[in-house]
Amino acid sequence: MAIDAPTRRYFRRMVAVSAIYVAAIFAASSIIPDDAKATPLTVAIALVPGIAVLAFIWAIGSFLAELTDEYLRFLEVRKALIATAMTLALTATWGILEIYTDVPRIEIFWVFPLWCIGLGVGALVNKLTLGDGGCP
Amino acid sequence: MKNRLKVLRAERDWSQGDLAERLKVSRQSVNAIETGKYDPSLPLAFRIADLFDLSIEEIFLRD
Repeated sequence: MAIDAPTRRYFRRMVAVSAIYVAAIFAASSIIPDDAKATPLTVAIALVPGIAVLAFIWAIGSFLAELTDEYLRFLEVRKALIATAMTLALTATWGILEIYTDVPRIEIFWVFPLWCIGLGVGALVNKLTLGDGGCP
Repeated sequence: MKNRLKVLRAERDWSQGDLAERLKVSRQSVNAIETGKYDPSLPLAFRIADLFDLSIEEIFLRD
């Protein structure tokens, strides 16, 4: 099946944003020494993956706006909602455990990767309940 | 919501892909609407009705 123009643009944007995100994380891990103080430089370095996350969400939003097929848009929205629900529920639960029990602390950095995994879970839920996973 | 899309399509000997192309939607959309997994918006329901030259009520049936 031919890939339509909005999906092609979405792919291009996601590849670019993902590359920037991964590169920024590798750069941060090699530039910032362990236990470094928060300085304007370290904050500036940390802002790059943060901005990449914003671009990631912008790419999804643009894709939703450009999709002319309402059913595919519905599938994509469901995926994002499932990812958000899963992420918030898991982090809220683990957060309470961290506050009141001796469970190991998980760095807040992992929230976004968890949300991305949630998108995959959303596609699986779509597939199991509707027979269609959605776009990429 | 039940609908007569599959019957109307079969009467014209159209595949799901043929209907999808005429409606400018994906084949998945046609399949989801036919099987009742997804109810189309009013604008898409009008496009479907216009394509078959029928009213919406003649295609989509109340549960």
